[in-house]
This record gives sequence, structure tokens and C-alpha cells, in this order.
Amino acid sequence: MSRGSRLALVVMILGAMVMVYPYAYMLGSSFKTRKEFAEDRGSLIPARYQPGEILADLRGEPSARDWPGADWPFYQNYVDSIRYGRVDRFLANSFIYAVLITGVQLFLNILAAYAFARMRFPGRDLLFALLLSTMIVPPAVLLVPNFLVIRDLGLVDTLWGILLPSFAGAFGVFLLRQAFLNIPGELEQAARIDGCGSWGILWNVVLPLSKPALITLGLFTFMGAWNMFEWPLVVLSNQDYYPLTVGLSYFSAETSSDWPRIFAASVMGAAPLILLFLFAQRYLVGGIRLSGLNT
Amino acid sequence: MRCLAPYLYIAPVFAVTIVFSFVAMGISLVASVYHYDAFAGASEFAGLENYRRALFADDSTFWLSLRNTAFYSAMCLVGVLLTALPLALLCQRARRFQALFRTLYFLPSITPGVILALVFYHIFGVWGQLLDTAWTSLPALALLGVWSGAGYNMVIFLAGLSEIPPQFYEAAQIDGAGRAQQFRHITVPLLRNTLVFVMVMTIIGSFQVFTSVYIMTGGGPERSTEVIAYTIFINAFAVAGQMGYASALAWLLFAVVFVFVLIQMRIFRSRRIYDE
Repeated sequence: MSRGSRLALVVMILGAMVMVYPYAYMLGSSFKTRKEFAEDRGSLIPARYQPGEILADLRGEPSARDWPGADWPFYQNYVDSIRYGRVDRFLANSFIYAVLITGVQLFLNILAAYAFARMRFPGRDLLFALLLSTMIVPPAVLLVPNFLVIRDLGLVDTLWGILLPSFAGAFGVFLLRQAFLNIPGELEQAARIDGCGSWGILWNVVLPLSKPALITLGLFTFMGAWNMFEWPLVVLSNQDYYPLTVGLSYFSAETSSDWPRIFAASVMGAAPLILLFLFAQRYLVGGIRLSGLNT
Repeated sequence: MRCLAPYLYIAPVFAVTIVFSFVAMGISLVASVYHYDAFAGASEFAGLENYRRALFADDSTFWLSLRNTAFYSAMCLVGVLLTALPLALLCQRARRFQALFRTLYFLPSITPGVILALVFYHIFGVWGQLLDTAWTSLPALALLGVWSGAGYNMVIFLAGLSEIPPQFYEAAQIDGAGRAQQFRHITVPLLRNTLVFVMVMTIIGSFQVFTSVYIMTGGGPERSTEVIAYTIFINAFAVAGQMGYASALAWLLFAVVFVFVLIQMRIFRSRRIYDE
């Protein structure tokens, strides 16, 4: 390994530590008692996991430092955040919203992308341009307008109100259309000769050949839905419907927030996506390259 | 029936996107010329009064929040360029560990912004009340923005770098060009489109910053972190009877962001990098 490469490696490792530090802080704090966190919110490792404590524990000696809550199970904050904060409910809500949005958006975008990629009809290019033009308006600008629509439809504080605006997206249609365009026309003709209609071709020929694009879009949509905050914050007032993001902001705004419990809930809110990412990394990275390069 | 089929395929997507973009913008355009109380349902025609109030009234926070947003955006832009591109160049050289680094640097992009804001709220507190003084709070928020955007943009730069044919570097080496010269005369020109894309997307994204402000500072201290998206949110949903005013603010934000969208569209219409 050359000197330059070694230096690069060192810098990258330092950078990686900067990236991981907040996660370590979150995880460590989620194991602290409330009193411990109030007295020392800077330390990464809770008192019970300090090396001295663990050694003393292994030797069977009584703990040298009398830290509060010595007989307290390490997962207590996780249990309490569910028992008293209904975090399980918020997590379930987030999951339901993300699954519904992903499922419906994939289905509707597939239909539109298929028509735009594999069919000829009057006005096609104009309609496609019209659809793409909706991507120009950024979400922060659409917040108030979309709220006015949802309110006029009488859907404030309902499941439909949260989900409806996310049921389709121009970016998804664009991404899938690109994938569908790459499928050779001969396959389609062969299927047509075998008696397939356009519906049959979509499900039996086009979709099986477009799995990577479908997975990429599915992941992006799922993550976007899991992370969404401002929209549900605006549309919902009934706590029973809160997704985790809004629930967390609600807890943190309380005057006497129980921060270790909030961190425990945060760990539970961040973990699913990180696990998903570890398994499906290549699709996401591929999707970013696609969105980044517009090829 | 046959000629109707394509329209049936695209109908659902159009129904949703048209309603939640064109119709919504239309409604908000109308709302912006009314004194509009969404909760009481009362409204009174106001003409351009809401826009005048935002742009010229003494008590208007539009210019203040626009200035804060622009500062925030500038800090994010510089920060992202100074981290993402060097990281991409380094990551390229760290061959065996590239995948591991990409995973770690990418973590913030897959974590809910609310959670990042909550964690950094405490980290900044431990570091010395960064969020409690007017002149450090906005840079602190920008630091979070850069930290969370560095890995994402690094991946984009990595993709751009991998598109540059290695023969170019080999030829330059034979001609005796050093590393700095190669970077200046091969990497930068051929990465230009990726660079512009990252810059524009960073600006557009940071102009919409909301979550970290809402969670960490609430616009304070002394309005030093009041950004446009937050001003819109407060006027629309926290103060009664300001929905029309908030709609006018949203249109002004759109006007600002639209300039950058146009720049981006121009650049991507002429995307030819190798024949220059």
C-alpha cells in the first residue's frame, strides 16, 4: 500500500468516526437512566458499561461507583417508551403508511410508465412533459397548497389525508419508464403472437425484466414515507394516527422530556431503515446514480 | 376501446399529481390574494396586499428569513463541496474498504431527519450551547446539514468519477502530468456536470430546510434561525387567519427556488461532456 493510499485510508476512517459518533451517542444515551443523563449527557458510554464496571462485574465485586439504578435492566427505556409513550403504536403507524404508500405508488406508477414507454397515443409526449413539470415545484412550496386541497376534500386528520398526495409521483414514472424503454420490442411482439394483451405483456414480460428499477423505486418510496415529517405534522391532530417522526417531535417538545426514553424510541425508529439498507444497498446506490446523472 | 386503454393506464397518476400540484397551486394562488382564515372559513378579498405585506411591511419577516435561508444555504453549499468531493476522491483510492465507507457515510441519508435533529440538539449542547447564541445557531444547523448530506453527495461524485475513462489519466501520466495537474485538467472539467448538479440540488434542498429548525431552535434565538419554510409553516398553521399570507410566502419561495431549477434544466438540456 502506497503512502498516499494509507493517508487516504486514515482520513476516511476519521471521517467514518464522525459519521458514526451521533449513532453511538444515541445508542449509549438510550441505556442511561434519566438521572444519569441529566448529570452527564456528554459521555458516550453509560456508567454500567464503563470498562471498570464490567471488570468489577466479572470479578463479582460490588460496583465501585454507586451509579443510580444499578439493578435496572438495560432495556428499561425501550420497554418504558412503549409502555408509557405508545411508541409501538407510532412505529406501527409509520410502517402501515410506508407500506401503503409504497404499494399504491408502485402500482399506479407502473401503469402510467408502461403506457408512456410502450404505447402510442395522441398527446403522449405532451402529457409526459406535463407530468414531469410537476417535479419543478419543491415540497416545501406545496405544503400549504396541498393542505388547502386536503381540507377542501374534508380529509384533514384522516388516513386518506396523509396518504393521498403520496400515491403517485412524477419521479417514479420517469424512473420506471426509463427501465421499460430498455426492454427489447421483439419480446413484446413474441408475447403478442402468443396471445398476450397489453395487460398480460405488462405482468408477464415487462415487470419481470424490470426488477432492479422496481426495487430501487420501492426502496426510495418506502424511505421517503418512513421519514416524512412535515406533512403528517400539518395534517394530523389525532395522536392515534401519528407516525414515529411526529410522535418523537411531540415528546421532545414537552417541558420535562425523558430524553433517554426518546433516544430509545429513536433507535427503534432508525434501526428498520438501516437494516433494510444493509440488505438492499446496491439498489439504492444505483438509484442515486440514476437520479444524480439523469442518464 | 383499444385507443382508450393508454389513457386509462395513465389516469390514476394524473389524477393524483394534477390535483396535488396544479390544482393545489391554483387554490393557493387564489388564497394568496385573500385575507384567509382557514380555520374559521372566513375570507375577504385582499388583492396583492399579502404580497405587499411580505415584501415591504415593516413587521415582515420575509427578508429576514430569506437572508437566514441564503446564509444557511451558502454554508451548506461550501460545506458539501469541501467534504463530498474530497471524500469521493479518497474513497476511490481506498479500494478494498470502499463499500464499507460508502455504507457508513450514507447512514444519515436513511435516518429520519427528526431523529438526527434530536441527537444533534444534545451533541451541540454538550459542545457548548451552540444553539443558544444568535451567531452560532445557524452555522450549527448548517453543520448538521453538511454532515447529513456529505455521504449522499459523495456517492453522486463517485458515480461521476467512475464515468471518466481511465485512459485519460494514463495518457496524462505518460505526458508527465502530476496529480494536481490531472485533477485540474481532467477531473474538474469532466466532472463539471456532476458538480453543477450537486450544487444546484444542495441549494434547492437547503432552501427548504424545516425539520432541524422546527426541532432544534424554533427559529431562535433572536430569530437567527428563522428560515422561509419555517416562517411559512408558522404563519399557515400556528397563527390564526394567516393562510392567505402564508400562501403568498410560499409563492415567493417558489419564485426563488425556480431560478435554480431553471439553471439546472438548462445544464441538463446540454449534457455533452466529452466533445468539448
